[in-house]
Amino acid sequence: MATPLLSAELLRRLEQFQLLAQRRAKSAARGERRSRARGQSVEFADYRNYVAGDDLRYLDWNLYGRLDRLFLKLYEEERELPVRIFLDASESMTFGEPVKFDFARQVAAAVGYVALCGFDRVSVVPFPHRAGEALARGALRTVRGRKSALTFFQHLQQLTASGPASLNEALRRGAIEARQAGLALVLSDFLDPAGYEAGLTALVARGFQVDAVHVLAPEELSPTTFGDLRLVDAETGGQQEVTFGRYRLAAYRQTVSNYCQRLREFCAARGINYFLASSATPLEELLLRQLRAAEVLG
Amino acid sequence: MNFLAPTAFAFAAVLPVVVLFYLLKRKRTVKLVSSTLLWQKFLAESQASAPFQRLRHNWLLVLQILLLALVILALARPYFAGNVKGGRLLVAILDASASMQSTDETPSRFEQARRAALALVDNLRDTDQMVVLLAAGHTEVKQSPTGNKAALRRALQSCAVSDAPTRLAEAFRLAQPLVKDRTGAEIHLYSDGAAGDLSEFENEGLSVIFHQFGRRAENAGIVTLDVRAHPEDPTRRAVFASVMNAATNPVQTELDLLFNGAVVEARPLTLAPRETAAQVFTAAQTNDGIFTLRLMTPDDLAADNQASVVSLLPEPAKVLLVTRGNRFLERALAAVPNVSLTVAADSADDAREFDFTVLDDVLPAEWPANNVLAIRSAPTNWVEPAGRLDAPPIVDWKNTHPLLRFVNFDNVQIAEALAVKTPPWATPLVESPTAPLLLAGEIGRQRVVWLAFDTLQSTWPLRISFPIFIANVVDWLNPATARATQFQVRAGDPIRLALTSPLTNAVMRLPDGSERTLTLDPGARELVFGDTQREGIYHLEAGTNRVDFCVNLLDAAETDTTPKAELRFGKYAKVQAATAQPANLEWWRWIAAAGLAVLMFEWWFYHRRTA
Repeated sequence: MATPLLSAELLRRLEQFQLLAQRRAKSAARGERRSRARGQSVEFADYRNYVAGDDLRYLDWNLYGRLDRLFLKLYEEERELPVRIFLDASESMTFGEPVKFDFARQVAAAVGYVALCGFDRVSVVPFPHRAGEALARGALRTVRGRKSALTFFQHLQQLTASGPASLNEALRRGAIEARQAGLALVLSDFLDPAGYEAGLTALVARGFQVDAVHVLAPEELSPTTFGDLRLVDAETGGQQEVTFGRYRLAAYRQTVSNYCQRLREFCAARGINYFLASSATPLEELLLRQLRAAEVLG
Repeated sequence: MNFLAPTAFAFAAVLPVVVLFYLLKRKRTVKLVSSTLLWQKFLAESQASAPFQRLRHNWLLVLQILLLALVILALARPYFAGNVKGGRLLVAILDASASMQSTDETPSRFEQARRAALALVDNLRDTDQMVVLLAAGHTEVKQSPTGNKAALRRALQSCAVSDAPTRLAEAFRLAQPLVKDRTGAEIHLYSDGAAGDLSEFENEGLSVIFHQFGRRAENAGIVTLDVRAHPEDPTRRAVFASVMNAATNPVQTELDLLFNGAVVEARPLTLAPRETAAQVFTAAQTNDGIFTLRLMTPDDLAADNQASVVSLLPEPAKVLLVTRGNRFLERALAAVPNVSLTVAADSADDAREFDFTVLDDVLPAEWPANNVLAIRSAPTNWVEPAGRLDAPPIVDWKNTHPLLRFVNFDNVQIAEALAVKTPPWATPLVESPTAPLLLAGEIGRQRVVWLAFDTLQSTWPLRISFPIFIANVVDWLNPATARATQFQVRAGDPIRLALTSPLTNAVMRLPDGSERTLTLDPGARELVFGDTQREGIYHLEAGTNRVDFCVNLLDAAETDTTPKAELRFGKYAKVQAATAQPANLEWWRWIAAAGLAVLMFEWWFYHRRTA
């Protein structure tokens, strides 16, 4: 364990925030989130006619006095919000300076910490799914409450990135496996030859509110290596020959920008919050400015 | 359009090579990246992958092929038949006289002049033509009219400076018909301005551009040299010389006299600015040899610092006087030193044993074959008398001729003379209003002096000028004198030697030590050697003869190296030295070179960007 994922200063500031969910929580467990379920809380929701057997404590006596009929006050039941963090741990995430995977872990840790502070259930789904690691992670799949923060951080730090991954496959599985839909945070570089559309669509279809953070290394955004190159793909081993000079830098940037724009439009059409972040972006900038502006944190 | 060198189109074979270079795969650096996904998209967006589609938008390739095609086209030298306006004709006269050797310009005036002429060649236009004349003692056409710059440069490079005096008139005479009545024709004269008399071109309106060379006149030189018998001591020789200082500063120097290479006398000499000092040396002489005078001063022009003269021991002149009695003539002849006089009433043979014959109012039975002084001898083969003149007055005489040196015809009356027309071989030296009274000239190799009147029929024998004239006659008719002068040659003039026996070849050793073998026509009676551009002693071996010739500059005009800013044509016409030469200084070569440099830079820059 080299450096802590998050600084103490950042943790202190994150405690002031909570995750904002636009949808009502559907979890069965009680929590601090408003839900469609009626139950015990201080938030008034509705009235209904009294039927025999109802708890007399919830009768509205004032209304009985005016209308001479018995009504029962209903309250919103507060439930927990399951937060699933999909963390891309493929080989491509090991590139960049700073390394994209480290950056993604920090974002995951920060968002997870906010969720834990809000008594939400946090689970981390790293992909590709590896049997060996799953064993170690088994107990840590889902944590809840601020007391679990340390365990959560340790778990994140034990993760390594390697091997090829299928983004679509991982997201679809995550959508199916989830018992309740909640908040899904997808941390990936979205550089999958098979695309990302099916996976994100599956999450949305399952009812998740999806936040996608697109992590790219500075080198990928603006390359500094020029000349006659034979590029080897770290995940697939595929080769690509390219002659690249400074004068074509603008064209390359345009290509990257087009790619990101397409992803952004895809997300916007499905109500997904999309954030593009270079791995060199300061964490505070992303968390405290961009995520707050998009009302992911509040 | 036609092509001068259509074989150059074979170079078109390299065009596919350029395309091939574009298709060849480059050596690539392997780099591991997170994903090639973005690069694939980038390539898909920025270029097509098929090779020939890739070429389609490669403007650089198109430009390179275009450039190559143009170069090949240029190599094929296309031309089209057309008419152009006649270009200019430039006549370059390069002065190669001795004074152009002056080293006041670096390395010499002549080299500077050559450089300037080469610059003129560089600036010739396509349609211009140029003639190169080399003017020294004689004018040589180095290049007839041509626009071929290589030939012109070659002609100029082959020009060499000589020790001969300038005779620019000859060059102008050659150039004049070329430029006459021709628009745009110019004479470019590259000279230091020591031009001699050019008054014959006064009214020609020649278009002359005078490129003047020379900046100063730091020069002293020997301008005359002669050797004679000592007037008072017949056993000694007198060497007459004059030394000129052309500089505007006084010069201190030493004048050495050498006989056959051994120093006889060394004389310190101080010359005032622009002074010509006469010097007389006397020296004993026991055998024939060469007197050399050497001026020990380092100056700009070395060619005039040394002069030589052949000195032959005097032999008594054998004179045959055929007369019916003329005591004045006899005494006048006898008074000339070194004369052995034989008097006869008639000449029976051709008098070959005598050096010359004096015919005093007689017609001999056998005409002499040697030199002749004929007094009132007519009719002869040479003159045809047309009548008689009574008391002809003497109106003019030429005292520049050696025969009339110090001779004055004032107070000479003539009772009667023969009236003749001046024959073509003769020069009239003394003239009456209607006919010449004294003729002198050369017929074949025979010198003849012809007097139209009997000296006894005039007051001339009573005058002091008569014995002087007779002494001059002895000097002029004596073949030894002629022989001595024949060994004295001005640089640039030919060496001539009468041959007594037929020869087929001879060897001439030049002052620089090189030898020339001369092939002679067996019937030739005279040997002529023309290559006397350098001063010094020329040694000829012809059969049994061993003869030395002294070739000297001895020219005051050449020694005076003062640069002349203008060239005079007679009294009124003159040309100023052109400091700036009118020439079209073309830029296109430099611009083309700059274009090539930019092209190279572009190529380098392109590769730097993509590297």
